[in-house]
Amino acid sequence: MTIHRVIRKVQRFQGWFGGGAALCLGVGLYLGLIGSPPDYYQGEVVRIMYIHVPLAHTALLAYIVLTIGSLWYLWKRDPIVDNMCQAVAALSAVFTALALGTGMIWGKPTWDTWWTWDARLTSFTVLLLILIGYLMLRTFVDDPEKEARYGAILAIVGFVDLPIIHFSVEWWRTLHQPQSISMRGVSISSGLLVPLMFMSIGMSLLFSYMLMVRTQLLYLDRLLHAKQGRLLSQFHLSKSDS
Amino acid sequence: MIACHGIGKSYGHFQVLHDVNLTVAEGECFALFGPNGAGKTTLLKILATLERPSAGHCEMLGMHGLKDKDAIRANLMFLAHGTHLYEELNAKENVAFALALRGHRPTDRDVKLALDRVAIGAFADMKVRYYSAGMKKRLALAKAMLAKPKILLLDEPFTALDAAGTEILRGYVRERLSEHGTVFLSTHDHDKTRPIASRAGILRHGALQEVAIEALKSDDLF
Amino acid sequence: MTSFNVIRWIVWKDFVTELRSRETISSMVFFALIVILIFSFSFSMDQQAAREVIAGIMWVAFAFTGIIGLGKSFSTELQNDCLEALQMVPEAKGAIYLGKVAANFAFMFVVEILLFPMFVILFNLEVVEEISLLLLIFFLATVGLSAIGTLFSALTVQIRAREVMLPILLLPLVVPVMIAAVEATKGALNGDPLALYEQWLKLLAVYDVVFTVVSFWMFEFVMDS
Repeated sequence: MTIHRVIRKVQRFQGWFGGGAALCLGVGLYLGLIGSPPDYYQGEVVRIMYIHVPLAHTALLAYIVLTIGSLWYLWKRDPIVDNMCQAVAALSAVFTALALGTGMIWGKPTWDTWWTWDARLTSFTVLLLILIGYLMLRTFVDDPEKEARYGAILAIVGFVDLPIIHFSVEWWRTLHQPQSISMRGVSISSGLLVPLMFMSIGMSLLFSYMLMVRTQLLYLDRLLHAKQGRLLSQFHLSKSDS
Repeated sequence: MIACHGIGKSYGHFQVLHDVNLTVAEGECFALFGPNGAGKTTLLKILATLERPSAGHCEMLGMHGLKDKDAIRANLMFLAHGTHLYEELNAKENVAFALALRGHRPTDRDVKLALDRVAIGAFADMKVRYYSAGMKKRLALAKAMLAKPKILLLDEPFTALDAAGTEILRGYVRERLSEHGTVFLSTHDHDKTRPIASRAGILRHGALQEVAIEALKSDDLF
Repeated sequence: MTSFNVIRWIVWKDFVTELRSRETISSMVFFALIVILIFSFSFSMDQQAAREVIAGIMWVAFAFTGIIGLGKSFSTELQNDCLEALQMVPEAKGAIYLGKVAANFAFMFVVEILLFPMFVILFNLEVVEEISLLLLIFFLATVGLSAIGTLFSALTVQIRAREVMLPILLLPLVVPVMIAAVEATKGALNGDPLALYEQWLKLLAVYDVVFTVVSFWMFEFVMDS
């Protein structure tokens, strides 16, 4: 029950998260798109970085939250933790997909290709596949308790697998790809760093805000279903008694 | 001893069980009646530690149904709708396998006696694939006989059993009761159940209501 | 001690069932042959081209047949609801996991050993010197596939659309095994010095250990509500 109290307490500050996200993203976007100089090598193209990098950070943050939530659920079996997991998985999938999309858009002018089997790009793709698998898995289970348990297992196994996937793809790439294309070419100067910081913090706050709203929604949905079930069974009972 | 404390189970907005409270003492046989879809099998599965209740918990032999599952399982036998038999193994192998997983190692003589007692001794070396539904039920019963559980859960035990099989089953239930076991069964058949049941209840729309065993007439709805 | 007995009995039961029904291994071998055939039509290969792609074809065939075997491993437990009996075993469920992994590993490994000569003959490979290394690669990769595959076989067997969900969930997670197995096999078939592809063997070994431990732990939650 304590977890309910914690969540309720955090929910009270939900609006602050939303407002903070709007503020940080606004400042970050202004600095990034207007206030900062274009990159020496990449020109104006570099500005997509201010969207892409925070998206990628947030996607990883979301997966970490999902893993912690999954471990927590398997430990305490509190359904509200599972509501949080379900919310975070969908958000994580969206952020991962957006990070991949913006990465591809950025790759076209800089590397002259939409797609390359870069280690990060590839492991993000695998991450997206795992998350889609997670969301599919949840829709194929009838018992909500089982659904939560199976989802948690997949999330934890995937979390352990991700670094191994990343390393194996990186090793594999050094064998097969010419070294001319490298992600590490972008040197971060302080002029770029400030808007990037704002965007990263803003994106994380936005994620937290969306997570809270969505968790609350799923929680209320569950309560509604339970109430509906109770009323239905009482209705049938009273009908069969009369 | 079986005790249910406020057991509820729901699948989404479908509430299968609603606040089930019940105590069955040692040496008692509780018969659970109810129309199809009333939640009888779900309740049995929760008692058998196969499913986790959405609300409440049960207590078996004084042990907590969610915390001491393995200790409960060692003292419990569930004859479910499925017979838990492997089609490619013969009767003896099925019995040996099932009991080995429970940590028992019955002698060949015991196995033979149990198979004879359920009157399928002649088919002991035949693959279960070729068994009829009633023979499978009998073989599952033989497994329970060898396991000697303190708690026996039976899900519609009389289906597929003939008159002789029913008598064997009732004999075994009486034996468990005389050895201070607890029996909990779900059924639709009043006439076959009345001789062994000490108490009865009806499950309707997930709610349990205890009734006098004598009050159940064979022309009831279920 | 009892746990060890559980492992032994599970392996015994799976072996006896397989010996009597011959369902799993025969369907795996036959499916793999068809995969090989389709591949050899899709790429019209001379010997030079074959050397480049043969390792990839081999492991795609092994992985797909492996998934067939893994899927059957627990779907056979659905008949007569035998899975319920396994869930009610009054022991840590890890013993059941290890028994199932051992059986699944054995089936997959046997199929790979049966299929390998086919590759040698159909694609004119010369493997006499590297045979022990190849066996080691097969062993390590198959342990990895069966360790994580057994967990997901048990997980997907209790849900709807399990035939599609097993590969959908499993294949992304075994990306490292596939990469490492293909690269190592390629190196061994080319007769490269071991130092060039040693890292892949190490990666496979790490993967095996990590996912045997993680799956062993997670299996408890798959089987037990």
